[in-house]
Amino acid sequence: MAEPMRIRAKMENNAADVKVLMSHPMETGQRKNEKGDLVPVHFIQSVTAIHNGKTVLDAQWSQAISRNPFLGFRVRGAKAGDKITVNWVDTQGDKGSIDTTVVA
Amino acid sequence: MAPSKIAPLEVKKPASAQPWQRYKVDSQGSTWPQTDWSSFSTLAAIAPPTDGGSLRYATPIEGDPAKGRQLAFDRARGGSCVSCHVLGKDTPPQPGNIGPDLSTVGATRSDDWLFDYVYDPRKLNKTSIMPPWGAHKIMNIPEVRDVVAFLKTLKEPHVFRDPQDNPATRTPPKDTRDNLDATDNPAFFALDRGKSAFNRLGANGKSCASCHASPETAFKTWAGRMPKFEPRLDKVLGVEEFITRHARATTGEEILMQSDDNIGLSIFLHNIANGTPINPDLSNAEAKLAVKRGQDLMQRKLGQLNMACVDCHTKERHANKWARGQYLVEFKGTVAHFPTWRTSRGDIWDIRKRFQWCNVSVRANELPPDARQYGDIELALAAINKGEKVNSPGIRH
Repeated sequence: MAEPMRIRAKMENNAADVKVLMSHPMETGQRKNEKGDLVPVHFIQSVTAIHNGKTVLDAQWSQAISRNPFLGFRVRGAKAGDKITVNWVDTQGDKGSIDTTVVA
Repeated sequence: MAPSKIAPLEVKKPASAQPWQRYKVDSQGSTWPQTDWSSFSTLAAIAPPTDGGSLRYATPIEGDPAKGRQLAFDRARGGSCVSCHVLGKDTPPQPGNIGPDLSTVGATRSDDWLFDYVYDPRKLNKTSIMPPWGAHKIMNIPEVRDVVAFLKTLKEPHVFRDPQDNPATRTPPKDTRDNLDATDNPAFFALDRGKSAFNRLGANGKSCASCHASPETAFKTWAGRMPKFEPRLDKVLGVEEFITRHARATTGEEILMQSDDNIGLSIFLHNIANGTPINPDLSNAEAKLAVKRGQDLMQRKLGQLNMACVDCHTKERHANKWARGQYLVEFKGTVAHFPTWRTSRGDIWDIRKRFQWCNVSVRANELPPDARQYGDIELALAAINKGEKVNSPGIRH
C-alpha cells in the first residue's frame, strides 16, 4: 500500500517548520460520479499534532478542505531531534498517523 | 533488459478505453464540458468550411448596446470578449491582450465593418485568430448586432489604475513551489502507486521488476528519449501508451492509458529520468515525417473557436500574452514536467490529457489518448524541447 502521508520538519528561526501532505479524497458529499450518483461524504474531520508527547495543534476540519490536504505549521520551542507526530480521523472512522524527527 | 532486444508490444488493440468517452468529472469534481462539437474540425478530421455569410449586412446596424455589453463581458459565451480585448472604461478586471485594445473602436470603425468583423473576421483579416462568432454560431445575428451597438459606444481610451490590471504591464506568473518536494506535490502519492505497480505480479506471474531488476539504472534516460516512432504500429508511442502495450505483451496486466496505475508508472519512469535531457530519436525517416505531420497539425484551425496550437503558443502569434488571467506560454518549456499535478483540477495530467483539454478549450472534440495525431504532436513538441531536462512530476495551476 502506498504511503498515505508525508511529513517534513525542519528548524527555521528557532521554530520547527512542519509540512504535512495527506492523501485523502476529502469528498464533500456534493460531488457526483460518472454515473451521476452523489459520492458519499468522506473527509478528515480531526487533526492533531503532537510535539514530544504534548498536543500543539488540534484542528476540526470540514468539507472546505481540498483533496490531498496540505498542512503547514510552526512549533515554537522545538529543537532538532524532537519528535513530531500528526494524526487524523475522518468521517468514516479511518485514521492516519505519521511521525518524524525535527532536523536542524 | 538489454536495449538491443526489441521490446515486446501488443499491437492490435486500442490502448485506451473504447469507445472513447470524454471525462465527465475529474477527481476534484471539476467538470469537463460535454458539448459535441463534431460539426467543427478536430485533429483527426477537417470539417467542411462553415458558410461565412454574406458580408456587408444592411446598415446602419441597429442593436441594443446594453445587451451587447452583457454579451461582450459574458464568460459563458466563448470566453467573453474580455479574454482578448480591453473594452473601454467598464472593462472588467484582468482583461487579456491577445487582440487589440478596442476602447476607441467605436470612433474609428463603421457599423458594417464591425458587424462583418465580429460575424467572421477571416474575410477582412487573414491573420486574425478571433473566433468567427456568427459564422460558427456562437452568437446569432441579433446578438452580433447588439455587440456592434456596444462597440459603437467605445470612444474613450481606457486608463488602468493598477499596472497589474493592465495586460501590457502585468507580471507573468512564476511558480515558486518545489515540484520535487514530496510534501508539496501530491503527485508523489501516484509515484508510490506506480512503484508498487512496477513490483506487482501480473496475470502471467511476472512483474515489471522480473525483467527490469534495477529500474533506476535501466531507465535512467528512457523517458527523455520518448516518444518514439514505432514501426510495428506505424505511429509514435509515448511513455503511457508504451506502458499499456508492453505490459499486455509481458506481465499480462491491462494498464489502460489514463488509469491510475498507468499514470503512476509514467510518473515513476519519468522521475527516474529526471535531469536527463529530452532527446527523442529523430534520425529515421519515419520520425522526421511524424514531426512534420505534428507541425502541420499544430497549424490546423480547430473547433468552434477556430484556433490552432500555434495561434496561442508561438511568439510570432500570441504567446507571452494574456487570455484574461491566463498567461499563454511558448511550446518550449511545456513538456519536461509531465505528468503533472494540476492544483486547479485536483488531478494528475499526462501530456495526452493536456492535449485533450487544449482541444476542449477551443471547443473541438478531443481524440482518444492513444490517437496517432497526439503521438505526432508529442514528437514535434519533444523536438522543440530537445535539451530541456526531464523534471517530473511537475506542478502547474
